[in-house]
Amino acid sequence: MSILTAEQKQIQAEATAFVAKEIIPFAAEFDRTGEFHPYLLDAARESRIFAMAVPKAYGGLEYDALTQAVVLEAWGYGCAGMGTTLAASVLSMDSVLVAGTEAQKRMFFEPMVRGEIGSFGLTEPSAGSDAGNGKSTAVRVGDEYVLNGSKCWITNGSYSTVFVIYALTDPAAGMKGISAFIVEKGTPGFTIGTVDHKLGIRSSNTVELLFKDVHIPAGNLLGKEGEGMKIAMKTLDMARPAIASLSLGLAQRALDECVKHLQRQYPEKAQPGQTLQFKLADMKIEIEAARQLLHHTMNLRDAGLPYSAESAMTKTNAADTAMKVTTQAVQLMGSYGYTSGIAKLMRDAKIMQIYEGTNQIQRLVISRAVLAPARPAVAVQKGGN
Amino acid sequence: MSILLTEEQELIGQSARDFAKEYLEPIAVDMDHTGQYPAAAVRALAEHDFLGLFLQGEYGGAEAGYVSLVEAVENLSRTSAAVASIVVNHSLAAYAIQRWGDPGQKQDCLPALAAGRTLGGFAVFEHGPTPGVGPDALQATRTPEGWALKGTKAYVRNAGVAGLYVVLACTDPAAGAKSLAAFIVGAEASGLAVGPLAETMGLKGCPVADLVFDNVILAETALLGGITDGAAIAAETLALASVAEAAQTVGIGQAAVEHAAAYARTRVQFGRPIATLQAIQTLLAETATDCHLARLGLRAAAQLLDQGEPFQVEAAMVKQFLARTGAKLLIDTVQVEGGFGYSEFMPLPRLFRDIAGTTLLEAPADYPEKTIAARLLA
Amino acid sequence: MPNILVCYKWVLNEQDIKIRPDDLSLDTARAKGKISDFDRNAIEEASLIVEQQGGTVDALSYGTPAVRQSVKDVLSRGPNRLLWIGDPGAEVADAMVIANVLAAAVRKAGPYDLILCGEGSSDMFYQQIPARLAALLGLPCVTFVQKLTLEGGTLLAQRKLGDCTELVSVTGPAVVSVLSEINKPRIPSLKQVLGAAKKPSEELALESLGLAPEDLIPKAVRKSPKGFLMNRKNVVFKESDAAANVAQLVASLAAEGLR
Repeated sequence: MSILTAEQKQIQAEATAFVAKEIIPFAAEFDRTGEFHPYLLDAARESRIFAMAVPKAYGGLEYDALTQAVVLEAWGYGCAGMGTTLAASVLSMDSVLVAGTEAQKRMFFEPMVRGEIGSFGLTEPSAGSDAGNGKSTAVRVGDEYVLNGSKCWITNGSYSTVFVIYALTDPAAGMKGISAFIVEKGTPGFTIGTVDHKLGIRSSNTVELLFKDVHIPAGNLLGKEGEGMKIAMKTLDMARPAIASLSLGLAQRALDECVKHLQRQYPEKAQPGQTLQFKLADMKIEIEAARQLLHHTMNLRDAGLPYSAESAMTKTNAADTAMKVTTQAVQLMGSYGYTSGIAKLMRDAKIMQIYEGTNQIQRLVISRAVLAPARPAVAVQKGGN
Repeated sequence: MSILLTEEQELIGQSARDFAKEYLEPIAVDMDHTGQYPAAAVRALAEHDFLGLFLQGEYGGAEAGYVSLVEAVENLSRTSAAVASIVVNHSLAAYAIQRWGDPGQKQDCLPALAAGRTLGGFAVFEHGPTPGVGPDALQATRTPEGWALKGTKAYVRNAGVAGLYVVLACTDPAAGAKSLAAFIVGAEASGLAVGPLAETMGLKGCPVADLVFDNVILAETALLGGITDGAAIAAETLALASVAEAAQTVGIGQAAVEHAAAYARTRVQFGRPIATLQAIQTLLAETATDCHLARLGLRAAAQLLDQGEPFQVEAAMVKQFLARTGAKLLIDTVQVEGGFGYSEFMPLPRLFRDIAGTTLLEAPADYPEKTIAARLLA
Repeated sequence: MPNILVCYKWVLNEQDIKIRPDDLSLDTARAKGKISDFDRNAIEEASLIVEQQGGTVDALSYGTPAVRQSVKDVLSRGPNRLLWIGDPGAEVADAMVIANVLAAAVRKAGPYDLILCGEGSSDMFYQQIPARLAALLGLPCVTFVQKLTLEGGTLLAQRKLGDCTELVSVTGPAVVSVLSEINKPRIPSLKQVLGAAKKPSEELALESLGLAPEDLIPKAVRKSPKGFLMNRKNVVFKESDAAANVAQLVASLAAEGLR
């Protein structure tokens, strides 16, 4: 277990209690119906947890990175689908945190403080791992931009108040011609398309966004024209550990359920044999190691140190761990695992290796860091720490 | 031992593929959505002799052996592993009766099983840590008429649609698991109830439920094999299950790798089909390798069965190998298809959910290791 | 109790054939063999007749030595006996040569009450074999048959023609070619598949058929087959308004020249 401050422990306890009350009892049902239930936003409103990354100056909780990770692990433990709802909303506001003006930050953060959510709109049918290959366009007309195109697999789309949408302001420039925009729900021409039905994280809303001559104020441009991919990459660096957190919650839940089941099955005097015991021990080692890599990454971020490679590593490692641990849990629990909520954990785990940058893309980032020529050590202190 | 198939075995595999295309492809996805038992497809399976593949000719079987069985199961599984599950579990009952039944039992049961007039089920697992131990363990007590059975069998496949079950019960509570005996129980037996259908992650359409025995009276002639043969019957039949389920795993994996390869050829990212990226090639190559090696392993175990040789260790090896790598066949092919691989509008999620049901380790979950180590260290 | 002969061709499965995009030549390296589609209907029809009325079915094929692969497949579908002639020259044989060889085999193995063929093969689709065979054997020929009944020695055939159907009755032996509408071939049961190995099959040597060398020289020579590629336009109509999508589609089709 990581060493948390008293305040962090308190927040962790609150998150755990919230999850036990508002998420765990409903997770199986929402998985079965495959629908996102806005009741969650109502239940979370008072705590302002959807504004956990919003600076205090805007009414948010301004949790540090490690605290956010601890909260998301608790949500992942309860239901990875509902955890995705929270994580994706934080992802969307991360772009505004990175590149937004005062006015833009107010526009985006105030809904979150009110208990509403946002969406990050980068992916398109032609732009999955090739994130810079999107075809959506934003044409400057007077003091507006006109958006055309579509996005797919966008989390929270049907329920978000605010969106960060990436589109080409300069198609000829390819990736360097992408810009980022804030788009508000209800803007004429902006509609929701197909709702995806997924293998897992079914309680998370995943949809297509459609843009047909959508006029937005020029003031909604984040940063400068052409800076879109730079903003997206910085955002994803910040957001990847969130997926690691959800993955950890999933893996821990799978191990806990496995242990509970074995304890129920084995009469008091008997014990599972060494083969099974060691499988549990290995699961524990992997989870704990993944947790430490995540917390170390969060420590780096909180200390203002570079953490891009670690961000990729923890996302990859935790997602792979979740997949392995949940799969093993289902197997070890046999038909019980296959016919109970444990199966949901395995289905939920699979997406962790895919979204917010597939683990193959992460490995590209990591191998670049590994193979880069060694740099001389540089003192990073700039201003206060 | 040859790793090559005989022409007959190849033709049986081809027939199973043709059958699957004709009868299973139209229903596979719907069956997964509704969980409805595919009665018409099972009738067609019976008409095509899939339900008596290894049963002797004098009982109406095709006498085609166990390599034929796994070839058929693999090929059916490429299209619908759920239907293949029905065949596999039926085959376990048929195997047990052919192997340990006396002439009367074989004559009474096998022709109906071979013709598919009666579907079979095999009830060995319980909710406790091992059959024969736990509050719900199925107990068989001697009575003047024969036997009285009381307790619960868990997660029985084909429950509710089977006409007969081969059931493992404990005859001496003090001796627990060591006193297991096998019984043939007709589905109509008074006091026998089928519990509610379990909601499975995949393989939907193959019913799974508990069998509850409330003082079910059986004649003496219901005892299958000797009174102390139960553990051996369970072990050997479950070894056959390991081999047959491995064939399901491999069939599902093969379908997945072919679909993912076809997807990779057409999906363009970074200006080229992703099939040209080594990352994708590696995922597909590892999947294909694991699939291929598992296929050879399970075929080798099936060949031993065909030759009348002991096969339980080889069966345990295949089980152990696929416990490590089986689910990975779909974890990695879904990965190739990315977001599309995660969408239930595409085929792989069903295969992902199905394959997880073919590599389960029932309690006690360490029996593959124990079985193999026992031979190595004898 | 009729004595029926079914002629069939063992062809490459067209689904396995790939077209090389640069020169449209065919890559058949991965193509497996199969019974030509309409011949499958012919075999099924023969089996159905004999199941109802008794009798026997012989199957006959002339092709490259690869025909050997077809033996068990065909025998699992009903025929009692299979005769086949494997000859590398079959690769370039035209319809005349094929008919010559088949007729010679029929003279050796027959006579038959009924000779069934598919209307044309999946690969070449000459549609000439039935007529040529009938002419060589001095038998009547009934083509495009979609329904067939055999009563005593009389054949009643329903022919599907361009603009009508025609009912034809024939007494005595005849050559009949069938369309796929005539039946839906059943998938052999596993016992039938296993039983195929026990049925007799015989390879007839080409030299033993009494053909003159000129009977085997093709007059129609195939140059080289080329594939036909259909390209997709990849135009997507995805407005949120369905009526707008339809309007755009119609406009696009009209622009392409469709009315």
